[in-house]
Formats: sequence, C-alpha cells, structure tokens
Amino acid sequence: MEAFPASFRASESPFFSPLSLNGEIPKPEDFAELLRRRGLYPCGFAGDAAHSMKNGTSGFFANPAARAEILQTNATTILAFKFNDGVLVAGDRRATAGNIVVYDRADKVLEIDTHSLMAIAGVPATAWEMARVLEHSFQFYRRSQLQEMSLDGKVRALSKLLRDNFGFVMQGVGIVVPLFATFDVLNDAPRLYFYDAMGAQFEATDYAASGSGSPAVRSVLHYENTWGKKPLRKLGRDEAVIIALRALDTAAESDTATGGVDRRARVFPIVKIVSRDGIATLEEKKLARTFKQKVS
Amino acid sequence: MIEEPYRWVEAISNRREYVEHQLAHGSPITALTYRDGILFLTLSRERQKIFEIYDRIAMGAIGHPGDIERLRMAAIELTSTEGFTRSTADVSLRRLATYSLSPALKAAFEQVYGAPYLARMLFGELGRKGERNLFVRIDYDGAIHTNGGSHIHTFEDFGVISGTSASANAMEKFLRTQNFTDAPLADALRVAVDAWIVGQLALGEDPSEELPSAERIAEHRAEQFANAIIEAAVLDHTARTAIKYRQLGIEEFNSLQLAAR
Repeated sequence: MEAFPASFRASESPFFSPLSLNGEIPKPEDFAELLRRRGLYPCGFAGDAAHSMKNGTSGFFANPAARAEILQTNATTILAFKFNDGVLVAGDRRATAGNIVVYDRADKVLEIDTHSLMAIAGVPATAWEMARVLEHSFQFYRRSQLQEMSLDGKVRALSKLLRDNFGFVMQGVGIVVPLFATFDVLNDAPRLYFYDAMGAQFEATDYAASGSGSPAVRSVLHYENTWGKKPLRKLGRDEAVIIALRALDTAAESDTATGGVDRRARVFPIVKIVSRDGIATLEEKKLARTFKQKVS
Repeated sequence: MIEEPYRWVEAISNRREYVEHQLAHGSPITALTYRDGILFLTLSRERQKIFEIYDRIAMGAIGHPGDIERLRMAAIELTSTEGFTRSTADVSLRRLATYSLSPALKAAFEQVYGAPYLARMLFGELGRKGERNLFVRIDYDGAIHTNGGSHIHTFEDFGVISGTSASANAMEKFLRTQNFTDAPLADALRVAVDAWIVGQLALGEDPSEELPSAERIAEHRAEQFANAIIEAAVLDHTARTAIKYRQLGIEEFNSLQLAAR
C-alpha cells in the first residue's frame, strides 16, 4: 500500500521484514514495534523516554508553570467500579483548555476490544492515539500470533505506552492517566486497573477514578462501598448506573472541568458496562430517565 | 550463465516447473459467497491454512509453511499499518494484491539466484454496502486472478486454489453448477465441502473433462471425513463488531450434521 512503496526495490528484497528476512527467525513483535520500524509511531510517545526526559528537565523541573499546566490538562472525571455483572465505566463529556470549554460531547470511555474498555483523563490527542495503538496492538497480536493476547499482556501493553510517553509528560505536554477495565472470560472475573503517568499499573479491588474530579468521586464511591445500602460489588445494573451518575454529578458540582448533565442540550455522561457477554453502552434515553428519577 | 536471455528464460521455466511440482499436492481451498458473507473451507491433516488478515479480509494458502508465514505476516503488517495510519476503510484487498504482494512475488520469482516463494494464496474480501465480495488468487509468480468486476469475464461468487490448475478448474466448473449465494451457512458448507472433494479427486486422477458423479463425491467425502479435519472460517457481515472474521468450531460442523448426511 501507498505507505510503503519505498520499501520496494526490484533488486532488493521486496518488502521490509518479514519478507526481507534472510533466514533470520522472526521475533513475535508487537504493533508499537512495527510502527516504530516503519517510522509511524505517534510522535507524542516516541518511545525514547530517556532522551525526552533529558530534554524535559529544563522544561519541567525548572519551570513551575509547566507543572501547573500538567495539573490543568488533567481536567476530567472518569470512574469505574466493579458491580454484580462486571465493571461499569463512566466519564463526563467535557473537554477543556484552561478555563475554556472546548467540546461538550467528548467520549472518554473507549472500546479497545470486545471485552476491554479504556477511560481516559489527560491530553486528548495523546490519549486517543494511545487508545488507537492499543486497539490495533491487540488485533495485530491475534492476527499475527494466531492467539488472543492474554489479559495480563493487554494490561502491560497500556503500561508500556504510558512509559514511552513519559518524556513528554516531563516536558509538560501529553500526560495521560487512564483506567483500564476488562472482563477475564477465562476466570469469569471482572478486572479493573488504574495507572499513573509513568506507567505503573495498579489493580483496583472495587473502584478507581481519575481526572480533576476524582477526589470527589472517590469519596462518593468509598462512602457507598463502606456505608451504603450494599457494597458496590453487590449492586445490580440499574443501581450501579444511579451511583455512577450521582458520583459524576457530585464531581461536577465543585469541579469546573467536569461537565455535569446538560439537560437543555440533553448531553449525558458516557456509561459503558463490560461483562462476560461483552460491552454494553447505556442508551441516552435510559440515562435521561434514570437521571430524572434518581439524581436530579 | 543467465546473462544470456535464452538461458534466463530457460531458468525461469525450470523454476516454474520446480515450484509447480512443489505445490502439486496442495490441498484445495474453497471460498464462496453465502447469505451472510464469505465462507472459506479446506480439509487438512495438520497445520492451519486459513487465516485472518484484517477486519474484512481473510486468506487461505497452500505451499511451504515458511513462505506462507512470511507472506501472511507481510499482508497483516501492510493492512494493519494502513488501517492505523489512515483508516480501516482505506484497507483494500485490491491494493494489497496489486501494489504490494504481486510485484514482490514476481520479483522474487524472476531473480533466479534467490529463492522463489513456494506459495499460492487465495484472498477474500467482504464487499462493503452494495458491493460484491472480492476473491483474489495470487500465484508464486505474482500472477493475479480475480473473480471478475474489473475484467471482461462475468462476476463469479467464489474463488478457489488447488495444487494443480486441472484441479482448480474442476472446482470452478463444479461451483458454477451450484447455488449458494443466498444459502444459509449450513448449505454453503455442504457445497464448499463438495467443491473441495471435486478438487481433491482431480488432484489424484488423470484430468478428465467430466465432473465426478454425486455418488463418487459422496463416497470420497466419507473417506476424507474419516482421515482429515474440516477447517473453515467466515467473514460474516452480520457480525456486530468491525471484525468480521470468525473461525468455525467443531460444534458448528456437528450441528450442521455434515458427516451424517
């Protein structure tokens, strides 16, 4: 295809690897590696963290404004918690730049494969690109290796992308602090992970939240989980949706960077559920009804 | 030696003979359009021969496993990077075949000091809304054969490959007598198996103009079912996700009661 005609010389091997292998054993490489080899790796996370970090020292440590910017770019609220059917993942719709609302219909809960959801907080350009790399990585792995990537492998893959991106985080651009929710079909168990900007992965027992509104959300979820009518794990689907909407509404109450429910424009948070049957997206109509009856 | 033109031609023709000889025992692969998409089918004894390439593209191949693997990986890499850098909608089998695979295969085949690819491939691409499914056969020398559309001959809703051209011709001849484009999967599987049987018979016997009788097919089918396993996959346009490829499992064959028929 057009992206690679330069690789074709009649006198040489016609393709880049693997066709140009001369008796070498092909390594099972990942998709990010392939992109890097072809020079197509998104430059936001070029993979040379050490190099970028060196450049970044002047940008980040010497400049407190850059640090403030990092905190600002993290403006969003995403949350996820385990309940009876699986994991519920929800996110508000607001995208901001400083005190400006850029977009009020942003989708921060992204489907990566049939049983994996990634919720993003941070710089959208990097986050969406990361999600795209991740989505393609899993598919590329399945197609090339003729087996599904293991759940742990998928969780690590996101961690690697974050680590590769860290140089840019240090420079004050491109921070992403995602959540990753998936359903372990083999062991029939929901799994939920949160990450830091350096790529450390933490498995959450019950819930996780990220973004500027996350302190409020964590408080709500902690309260519900400990002193609520039922612990989060025992909630039914409808009950879980109510808690998620209430938690986001609480975050929006004090955090200007979190978009609440815009009733006039009928913009509701994105709520997705990953269970053993796959991913389900809650309809806006249903959310509107639940919101009217149980939240507002 | 090969600086002299006629020596080169001779070398190429020797090489063609050699490759054809290597491929001659390749088990046939049938691909056909059915109600919900494309069905790929073969009977095999050991290794996998039908593969997912991209969301709407699948491949079946015969030949040397090492060569098939390199070509398969190349196809996956090309489509994956295209789908990533542009969009999944920009990935097309026509471009993959004509701009990438065919020239590469031709170059490898005609460089007589290098090794040619011992592989014959069959690709199928699920047509997007309103378009017909595309079947493309690519040979070890880069020759491309499609199921019509851009060529003069009429559209055919199938594609086949086999070890010999006599066998592939017999399969095509058989498939032209069958109705399957609106058939459910169960019926399409039966047709695909029978086409495979016709191809397999033509591999072993002296090539004849006549298609084998229904009894002969049934008899041979029973024999083959005892020794080999069915491998099949579909590109199913009713799938809810963007990924249309699905490997068929034992349960699906059982529920079709293929063996009992």
